[in-house]
Amino acid sequence: MKSAVITGFVRSPFTLAGKGALARVRPDDLAAQVIRGLIGKTGVAPADIEDVILGCAFPEGEQGLNVARLVALLADLPLSVGGMTVNRFCGSSMSAVHIAMGQIAVGAGEVFVCAGVESMSRVPMMGFNPLPNPVLAKKSAAYMSMGETAENVARQYKIPRAEQEALAVTSQQRAAAAQADGRFAGEIVAIAGKAGTVDRDGTIRGETTAEALGALKPAFDAAGTVTAGTSSPLTDGASAVLVTSEDYAKAHGLPVLARIKAVAISGCAPEVMGLGPIVASRKALARAGLAVGDLDVVELNEAFASQALACIGELGLDRERTNIDGGAIALGHPLGATGARIVGKAAQLLKRGGGRYALATQCIGGGQGIATVLEAVE
Amino acid sequence: MTAEPIRKVCVIGAGTMGAGIAAQVANAGVPVLLLDVPARDGDRSAIASGAVAKMLKTEPAPFMSAAAAKLVEPGNIEDDLARVAECDWVIEAVIERLDIKQGLYAKLEAVKRADCAVSSNTSTIPLAQLVAGRSEAFRKSFLITHFFNPPRSMRLLEVVTGPDTDAALAGRIAHFADVGMGKSVVRAHDTPGFIANRIGTFWIQLGINEAIDRGLTVEEADAVAGPPMGVPRTGIFGLVDLVGIDLMPHLKDSLTATLASDDPYQAIARDIALIGNMIARGYTGRKGKGGFYRVNREAGKRREAIDLASGEYRPQAKPPPVRGVLKALVESKGKLGEYAWALLSHTLAYAASLLPEAAADVVAIDDAMSLGYNWKAGPFAMIDQLGARYLAERLAAEGRAVPRLLALAGDRSFYRVEGGRRQFLGLDGAYHDIVRPEGVLRLADIKLGTKPLLKRASAALWDVGEGVAALEFTAKMNTLDGEVMALLGEAIPLVASRFKALVLYTDADNFSAGANLGLALFALNIAAWGEIEKLIAGGQAAYKALKYAPFPVVGAPAGLAVGGGCEILLHCDAIQAHAELYTGLVECGVGLIPGWGGNGEMLARWQAAPGLPRGPMPAIARVFETVSVATVSKSAAEAKALLFLRPGDGISMNRDRLLFDARARALALAEGYTPPARPEFRLPGESGRVALGMAAQGFHKRGLATDYDMVVSDALATVLSGGGADPAETVSEEQLLTLERETFMRLLHEPRSIARVEHMLETGKPLRN
Repeated sequence: MKSAVITGFVRSPFTLAGKGALARVRPDDLAAQVIRGLIGKTGVAPADIEDVILGCAFPEGEQGLNVARLVALLADLPLSVGGMTVNRFCGSSMSAVHIAMGQIAVGAGEVFVCAGVESMSRVPMMGFNPLPNPVLAKKSAAYMSMGETAENVARQYKIPRAEQEALAVTSQQRAAAAQADGRFAGEIVAIAGKAGTVDRDGTIRGETTAEALGALKPAFDAAGTVTAGTSSPLTDGASAVLVTSEDYAKAHGLPVLARIKAVAISGCAPEVMGLGPIVASRKALARAGLAVGDLDVVELNEAFASQALACIGELGLDRERTNIDGGAIALGHPLGATGARIVGKAAQLLKRGGGRYALATQCIGGGQGIATVLEAVE
Repeated sequence: MTAEPIRKVCVIGAGTMGAGIAAQVANAGVPVLLLDVPARDGDRSAIASGAVAKMLKTEPAPFMSAAAAKLVEPGNIEDDLARVAECDWVIEAVIERLDIKQGLYAKLEAVKRADCAVSSNTSTIPLAQLVAGRSEAFRKSFLITHFFNPPRSMRLLEVVTGPDTDAALAGRIAHFADVGMGKSVVRAHDTPGFIANRIGTFWIQLGINEAIDRGLTVEEADAVAGPPMGVPRTGIFGLVDLVGIDLMPHLKDSLTATLASDDPYQAIARDIALIGNMIARGYTGRKGKGGFYRVNREAGKRREAIDLASGEYRPQAKPPPVRGVLKALVESKGKLGEYAWALLSHTLAYAASLLPEAAADVVAIDDAMSLGYNWKAGPFAMIDQLGARYLAERLAAEGRAVPRLLALAGDRSFYRVEGGRRQFLGLDGAYHDIVRPEGVLRLADIKLGTKPLLKRASAALWDVGEGVAALEFTAKMNTLDGEVMALLGEAIPLVASRFKALVLYTDADNFSAGANLGLALFALNIAAWGEIEKLIAGGQAAYKALKYAPFPVVGAPAGLAVGGGCEILLHCDAIQAHAELYTGLVECGVGLIPGWGGNGEMLARWQAAPGLPRGPMPAIARVFETVSVATVSKSAAEAKALLFLRPGDGISMNRDRLLFDARARALALAEGYTPPARPEFRLPGESGRVALGMAAQGFHKRGLATDYDMVVSDALATVLSGGGADPAETVSEEQLLTLERETFMRLLHEPRSIARVEHMLETGKPLRN
């Protein structure tokens, strides 16, 4: 079996939905610019790309049809390159990476662009026409709002509000420090929009204090503990990683960030979907033959502080090694784009810090978890 | 009148009045440059832009729409004064200081175009003084336009021209102020305080003096000087609280300085120690810590009133019952009757003495007081209620001067109806027709000369000329009942056979408060379910008959048009609305849902709305969002955004022009009219209902919706999503009406709905159960 490696990672700036600088940019244009940026940065020969696998959680409207193919055309990739849209909600673009890894393993291609996009400004969560199945709605929490599931996790794990807020403050401070140190510069592709070029994240609030967060009203449940400050904001953004066979990377002199060692998916109860990373991570680590203690880098998507804390606790993650440059509470969570971002980020951090193993994992609406274990390439 | 349009206006002075005037110009759709002095540091136009920002947070809102706010461009008089050259009208609303105003005019003269009008919003400084030292060309372009606060809602505009003012230019400004800004223009002469404030200040000062001297409480004084005199409930003390007690000394100083020494106001003007103390302690009225009345938050929001003798607050007392007939009131014995006579006799005599000094005729004075102080009847209409001779004789008997005008009237009244026309007594001793400006049509005037075509207990049908009939509602608050529906049924064949079009219109302040809930509750209490269902079905049928009638129907609402009053408008071919329109489907607030076809009409509008994504949900979700929380528009412009009005519907800024404009719109539709096609709906059925329920659940969890809101919104969701509909099939208008009616009846059987209805009837406020 051929092994797959990450040979590039870029993303657009992440900006707040509705009022952010990317709110007037079509998601297909956004993704196309990011993919162009990835090709420019890695220098990969476009004709070698087998497929563009693009994750999107609400693939309709401007991110509808087979948006992956449309983005490939918008990015002026050769007509020979394919395009496939993947939907696993928040796990979409991490699944894109998993698919590429599988394709490489079975010899069905050498080079894959694994990307993700979500304009939460232009396509609302739930889409334009939410039509839940009444039978399922009655018998399951499949359609429960994400905020409610975060409250459920907070209650089940007895996570006090102050603890959630402390995590949010850390996330904001780390992201602000990374931004100030220019640590995002290498991954961000400047996006041309109607009102000029956007080259900076618009979501980070480095000045956030626990005191200010403490003054916020609960966002989802009047009697709850989850606020807008301890939730990831609605965000516009796109991300992309280049996944190639290890052989191809070597043959073409592409600098390798990390090897994909193991992956996993697991389902869980929809009403506590935030716990998804626990079992998924355990499965992936077991497949990699690793223990949590072996990890040098963890990217755990912060959909909500409550679920992130529950996962950190259950998995026994080292908080100093988790979300080193901040998480989604600070950076935002453009649903379809987050998976590729955290896989790319984990690979980048592994390289940057000289670590050996990394884990990227996230929860998924409807009750799933997804995880990817990466390994440094000597 | 074909006056040259006003394309751009500059307002100088971004205080409350200047900013409010700028907002109203913007509400008229005209761009405005709003200038103030430059800020000391930072953005030099910060004072003007700050005023705009403040207005965007003010309630009631000075702007009628977000689009209007964008028409105001802030600037400062040092950097931007030259841009006055872009403007057709400059309105000066700076501080009331002659030297400052004169200095500004000198600068303006250098930059303004010759055909650009300059007007001052001064309330106290005579025009002659303002233009002293200016060129003839400037004097030709100058006039006074005195707006009232707040400029959006106060309809009076006093216009004062000088001997040199160009009549055509003044006419152009008056026309824009009338048609564009919706103001009723009253021509006043160049005398101190003009009309409304001169009489109003006299009345307030006298009312306070007399109350103190006669030992009345503020509650007693306001009970007399309020509704029994056709004056708003605030009376005198409540009014002063509203406008600001600190304004009183300024008004007094200004008037005593400018009025003749023998003016009766000089005799009553006095400094009142209590008022001085109140101002010093920050009790400047509602904008301050409180005024003659206050809400004591330290005592559990207790309502209190000031003791006029001691200056101490005490719990507010229930006002005494005061009889409503004016003459009986001034003849009644005791301190209340004596107070009424003292207040009224002096005020009315004062008003009668101001002609011709302050205005050309009694109509100008009465209009100024009804529009500027919201008096139901102006001074001369009030004199007619007492009788001019009665007033003259009683004044004479008390040894007081009898104004010449009262003697001239003798046994005659100041107003009369002759040959179907309303007339007023001129200063020449003869009666003259009251001539309405072109484009002004009042149903009240029409009624003087004709009988209704049809009449029932709560509605009537009138011939309003040009082949157009008008249907008016006549019940209290123009509520709707079976009688209205029956009259609609009778009106349709009559209009079809004899008229070109129908207008729904009423002169009343409010178009309609919706279905008569009191009547409905009575029927509920005796469990007359059959009767109620008949009323619902009858209303549905009547509204649809109106919609598909062989002639165009134009709704002409002003003020409140809610519930069933909104639903009838939704069935019209077009709307000509007054700019001040507060419309919405508010049924959920009383535990019900729209029952007279409003659901289908709103769905059809949103489904046809451009810019909405396709599929069964977006339109339904928008209607659900709007109706489930009983959204009411805060202007006609906002009603358009909510699709209670269609994009092409008309808006009349001036209330007096509404009927005329609606009639013209109806006639424009009459040629080649064909009734609308019946809509068909593609609705999601049960899954749509679940989706809407999930959204509502979120509000419930956040504590923004009550338990019973969930029941009511589920009923609404059931109707909007088509009940058991399948998105692969269509739902007819008739099927949707049946579903609406059945769902409505189901809610009526819910005790918590009935509790909501009862609570609304008792308190006027929604019950949040």
